[in-house]
Amino acid sequence: MLEITGITKRFGAREAVSAVSLSACAGEFVVLLGPSGCGNTTLMRMIAGLETPDEGTIRLCGEDITRRDPRERDIAMVFQNYALYPHMTIAQNIGYPLRVRKRPAAEIEAEVKKVAARLGLSGLLANLPRQLSGGERQRAALARAIIRRPKAFLMDEPLSNLDARLRVEMRAELKHLQHELKIVTIYVTHDQAEAMTLAHRIAVMRDGKIQQFDTPANVYQRPLNTFVAQFVGSPSMNLIQRDGVILGVRPEDVQLSASAQAGASPGRIYVTEEMGNETIVVVSDGSSQITARCPAGARFEFDSTVWYRFKPDKVHRFDSSGARIPD
Amino acid sequence: MLLALSIYPLIYSVKLAAADRRNFTRLFTDRLFLTASIQTIWLTLSALSIEFLLGLALALLIDSLARGRMFFRTALLIPMLLPPVVAAVAWRLIYNPQFGVLNGTLRRLGFHTADLTWTSGESSALASVILVDVWEWTPFLFLLLSAGLQAIPPEPLEAARVDGAGAWRIFRDVTLPLLKPTIVLALLLRTMDLVRIFDQIFILTQGGPGTATETVSLYIYRTAFRFSNFGYAAAMSFVLLAATLLFSRGLLRAMRAR
Amino acid sequence: MKRTRAGWYEAARKAAALVPYLAAVAAVFIALAPVYWLLTISLKREVDQFAYPPQWIGFTATLEHYRDAFAGGSFAAYFENSVLLAAISTLAALAIGVPAAYGLARFEWPRQWDHRIGDWILSTRMLPPIVTIVPLFLMLRQARLLNSLTGLAIVYTGFNLPFVVWMMRGFFEEVPKEIEEAAMLDGESRAGALLRIVLPLVRPGLAATAVFCLVVAWNEFLFALILTQTEAAMTLPVGIASRVTQYEIKWGAMSAAGVVAMIPVLVFAAAAQKYLVRGLSLGAVKG
Repeated sequence: MLEITGITKRFGAREAVSAVSLSACAGEFVVLLGPSGCGNTTLMRMIAGLETPDEGTIRLCGEDITRRDPRERDIAMVFQNYALYPHMTIAQNIGYPLRVRKRPAAEIEAEVKKVAARLGLSGLLANLPRQLSGGERQRAALARAIIRRPKAFLMDEPLSNLDARLRVEMRAELKHLQHELKIVTIYVTHDQAEAMTLAHRIAVMRDGKIQQFDTPANVYQRPLNTFVAQFVGSPSMNLIQRDGVILGVRPEDVQLSASAQAGASPGRIYVTEEMGNETIVVVSDGSSQITARCPAGARFEFDSTVWYRFKPDKVHRFDSSGARIPD
Repeated sequence: MLLALSIYPLIYSVKLAAADRRNFTRLFTDRLFLTASIQTIWLTLSALSIEFLLGLALALLIDSLARGRMFFRTALLIPMLLPPVVAAVAWRLIYNPQFGVLNGTLRRLGFHTADLTWTSGESSALASVILVDVWEWTPFLFLLLSAGLQAIPPEPLEAARVDGAGAWRIFRDVTLPLLKPTIVLALLLRTMDLVRIFDQIFILTQGGPGTATETVSLYIYRTAFRFSNFGYAAAMSFVLLAATLLFSRGLLRAMRAR
Repeated sequence: MKRTRAGWYEAARKAAALVPYLAAVAAVFIALAPVYWLLTISLKREVDQFAYPPQWIGFTATLEHYRDAFAGGSFAAYFENSVLLAAISTLAALAIGVPAAYGLARFEWPRQWDHRIGDWILSTRMLPPIVTIVPLFLMLRQARLLNSLTGLAIVYTGFNLPFVVWMMRGFFEEVPKEIEEAAMLDGESRAGALLRIVLPLVRPGLAATAVFCLVVAWNEFLFALILTQTEAAMTLPVGIASRVTQYEIKWGAMSAAGVVAMIPVLVFAAAAQKYLVRGLSLGAVKG
């Protein structure tokens, strides 16, 4: 469906994207996850046609679109700052892609109404973008993207300008919408929770390269290297140097007890954080800190001694370069 | 196009001036050129300092008003916007020692005005020209400094108040340093304009009486277009250009610093 | 009722609060008095113009000087010249400058170039006009464009062009790139995005830039003085100036011409008020 092969993009001497290959099936939701500057936005902009790759090809529905103009690609994009046209009403904004395509006015109006109703914007059609709240602008941008049923959606951190509660709400909304439309979607974010909840498959990126491209479950349970291991999951995976290998343990796989037990090591309570549904406990063993996820109500005093233990079958092993050692 | 109108004339005038080397040597012995230069510098410095202080005071004053700021700001800008020629004509009407409204009003208030000759007196002409410039261009300083004042975020000022600073200390320690880039910019822009002052003096005094208000621009004009000595005029233009370039480097740096 | 001490204090405080307003009113008076005086002279009968004591108000108003200056006199022709000149040079500067500014704002330029172009543009603006006037005069004389509106229009266009490029570049840079990109993804070509999305967004800036060009061309004196020495090609400022330097000055007609000359500028300035600071500081202060 969408096939990216060996894409490279350089800005001056710096390689923003290095020989990335990636494919998405029809209707798939792919998230490009990585810290800012990792190249995921650049990769997306090349798919959109806003940047031209130095090497490699991009194919959409079997056609090579690598060097096509953005407008000939039939791809819609939702920008981080929404990029609504400030001088047009919401109705004009949403209808714009159809107007450019010279559809009859009556059809445009009907489509706009339909899409606006779907996204709960019906009452705001006559307003200008600046009169809308952040969440409403977000939905307007989304409406403008879906109105023409493009071959692919691109979303560049579309939720990052919303407050926390709205973000979770829109996240669910977005996921359902994509399920309904069944249009292949490429989504850029640095928020691992968004990636986990939205994606069919996640491509974790760093320094212009894809570190791992797999389902959320696999990325979480079998990270291919320490970067992926630490980037996905919150709180982060514990990494402990031991005998030339790096042990990785997720906080939920750390067990604490107040008394000495077989196979457990002692440590001191550094801090405990009550989350309501669970408690995050940070234990210091002198040289490093280990984070543990405990049931709600677990109580430990500052500086008291505890014994920690890793669930044996849940320990990931990485070599000194950070790559996963096969089990 | 840009080339034709900026670079080419310069090259042309180099050729013009260099055609006769005496054009440059004459510069150093020309009394009138010296007088014009000194007067230009004097006019620039005094007008600039008065305009700056007045403009800053006005900006602070209007900024402190609770109401009517928009009205005052607009009204105060008018002198600067007028065609300089029109402004100068108005001031000729005002300055005239016998019929002018200035002396007329002063006499009415009981002042003795017989020796208040303004632009027609040898000793008072330059000061009178400076006064007109102050009237016309203080608004410019006012406008830029006002904008600068408004661009200062309120937080540092509030922090200083919480820290216990009085009004004067806040002004000196917070407002002024934060305003500095704007001040530098405004002063430099104004300097460039003052150095090339022409229109007002041309209408008000034509450089007279005698040479009391002769400036470099005026002298170049006269040399070229009254005495048709284009070579010498070009040579003098270079001195003026060099001085301006010196200033404009500072100006560009100030603009980039913002 | 006797005032308490607190009452007196309160009254004094109120009076003190008025002081800044009085100062501001005084400043406005000083700023406007000369303009007002010019206006009264243009409306007074000749016998009243220099009467003692000066008549600020309550004189007999007449429009004869306006009739004198514009119906019979040559000021009407100067006025027309000025209007034509301002309009043509502004349009020309915009036609060339706006696309150039867009190019500068949107396409990547090597960093060094960027500075140089900027400096160059600003430098041409800072050049004292008297420095370029001698060669310009000789060039135009050679091209037989002296004393013609065409010659002056070319000079003004060149004069305003750097300013247009500089200002419009700033305005273009303020339009988020994403908006243009969104338009291209929505199906516009680059030209279409520029025409239908970007230009409407920079319209206020474009209007302000045009106003600045108009005012500069309208107020300009030195070039006009030197490059047009015949009656037929004179602009309004030159026309006024040529009357001042005559022996017998017709103050009424001249004041009338002066008042007419300043009206367009004031109207324009009011229209572009929001961008005044920005234009006057060559874009350095975004007021």
